[in-house]
Amino acid sequence: MKYLRWCVVMLFLILPLGACTQKEPATEKGKVQVVTTLFPLYDFARVVGGDRVEVSLLVPPGVEPHSFEPKPEDMVRINRAGMFVYTNPYMEPWVAGLLKGIDRRLLTVVDASRGITFLPAGDHDDEHDVNEGGHHHAGMDPHVWLSISNARKMVENIAAALEVKDPPNAGFYRKNAAAYDQKLAELDRKFQEGLANCGTRQFFHGGHYAFGYLADRYGLQYVSAYAISADAEPRPRKLTAMIDQIRRSGTKYIFYEELISPRVAETISRETGATLLKLNGIHNLSRDELHGGATYFSLMEQNLADLRTGLQCR
Amino acid sequence: MTISEILSYGFIQRALVAGSLIAVLCAVLGVFLVLRRLSLIGDGLAHVTFGSVAIALFLRINPAVVTVAAIPIVLLSSFGILKLTDKARIYGDAAIGIVSSLGIACGVLLASVAGGFNIDLFSYLFGNILAIGTGDLVLALVLFTIVLLAVFFFYYDLVAITFDEELARSSGIRTKTINTVLVLLTALTVVLAMKLVGIMLISALLILPAVTALQVAVSFRATILVAAILAVGSVVVGIFGSFILNLPTGASIVVVNFIVFMLVFSGKKLRQAH
Repeated sequence: MKYLRWCVVMLFLILPLGACTQKEPATEKGKVQVVTTLFPLYDFARVVGGDRVEVSLLVPPGVEPHSFEPKPEDMVRINRAGMFVYTNPYMEPWVAGLLKGIDRRLLTVVDASRGITFLPAGDHDDEHDVNEGGHHHAGMDPHVWLSISNARKMVENIAAALEVKDPPNAGFYRKNAAAYDQKLAELDRKFQEGLANCGTRQFFHGGHYAFGYLADRYGLQYVSAYAISADAEPRPRKLTAMIDQIRRSGTKYIFYEELISPRVAETISRETGATLLKLNGIHNLSRDELHGGATYFSLMEQNLADLRTGLQCR
Repeated sequence: MTISEILSYGFIQRALVAGSLIAVLCAVLGVFLVLRRLSLIGDGLAHVTFGSVAIALFLRINPAVVTVAAIPIVLLSSFGILKLTDKARIYGDAAIGIVSSLGIACGVLLASVAGGFNIDLFSYLFGNILAIGTGDLVLALVLFTIVLLAVFFFYYDLVAITFDEELARSSGIRTKTINTVLVLLTALTVVLAMKLVGIMLISALLILPAVTALQVAVSFRATILVAAILAVGSVVVGIFGSFILNLPTGASIVVVNFIVFMLVFSGKKLRQAH
């Protein structure tokens, strides 16, 4: 709260400066300004909106989104925007506080996960971890976008909001959303087929519990080293349990998460001889990935390929 | 799970060995730092690494060696803390505060100018005691040897300047050199040891064993010895305790340290009351 007050003060200091320096290019007339929090939303909004909207990403590339805090410039950007899209209150608990400082009369706020059924957070077979989510996650798993069926729902939500916001272009948005939905449905089918016939149905992950929805969608069992909060410390018993499971089941691969040091996965790999494989939680991209034109679609395709390797699918 | 079963895991063995080595050298340095009112230097120098991360980012340094990039900056900052206390006649706590907040501020500014990161470099700077590799073990051993040899070599001078710097100076000890040696050793320990076991554990091990040992101190040598034993004991108890209670290990070690401090402190009070 203290931070927000400071933001407001900074706003008054920075607004006149901005008027002089004009760092940002003047926004094009008529385009809907959309601010999104995380990369998947950014990607969905730019696919649906095409050249009729201007989408910007709030959390900078490479920053771990669970711990993001906005800069004054971000507050200015949201104030100017027509639409603000966030994943869900479990993922970005800071959104509610942030929006208090914004004039909301002209701003459409979109909870992209509306209508999605949440799964409980954490590792189901370890009752301790379920309670470990931290109060801001309130026990629900925020990583909904990692199931493609949820992603389709999110695209639909964003498209519906754009249609209401910008009625003249409603047909355009609907057409884009429908085309993308078909692509996603196709990819969903590829996941179903690609993961149907595998050597094992269990995958191990040396990161925080992010792939619950993906595992649920494709009937996989998922074991992660941490509970839902990305900044927790691992517990020794959890690590030895994973090591034993990997040894017993003869699993050959251990997945690690994007952006942060794969230290824990490396520890498990040293102990078991399992090979490291990356599984992208698509929370956020690195600067190079973003500029290299990566998309939700391309990253999920990569995930499918790596999962097929890791699960020894045929 | 029996103790021998717990010990059959390589990561537990490495945690015990590297943890104990780091515990000893933190405890030894800690005694000098606490008495010199520089207890928070561990925390302060860890913050300075935020600035060094931003520089690593600009130079697009491989994340695996980001710690190497941090070393010169942290050494320089520790020297800055020393100069501030010496030249500007500022107490150690304020000097640490100045340098560490400047470090964070530079980090924030540089990161903002660079426009985002490729990876979360901080996760490469701060390690975890359960994720220590074989190479890390060698690093801990080298660090241990360097620091203990240096303390052994400069022992009498270090003790002299810790108790009375003026007297030490007038009796011909090169106090400037000795002070520099102390803060540089601390800086090196902080930046390398936090790569292994994380910053929370380092700042706790620099302060708590020393403070506890000072409660029962009879001589300087005994204080150092007691601090080192307490630190190693807390690491061992913390590792096994976290196993039994299914808790995060680093935090458990810190809590064990605090409990030991409370026990020693209350024991001393009780004895005084009699």
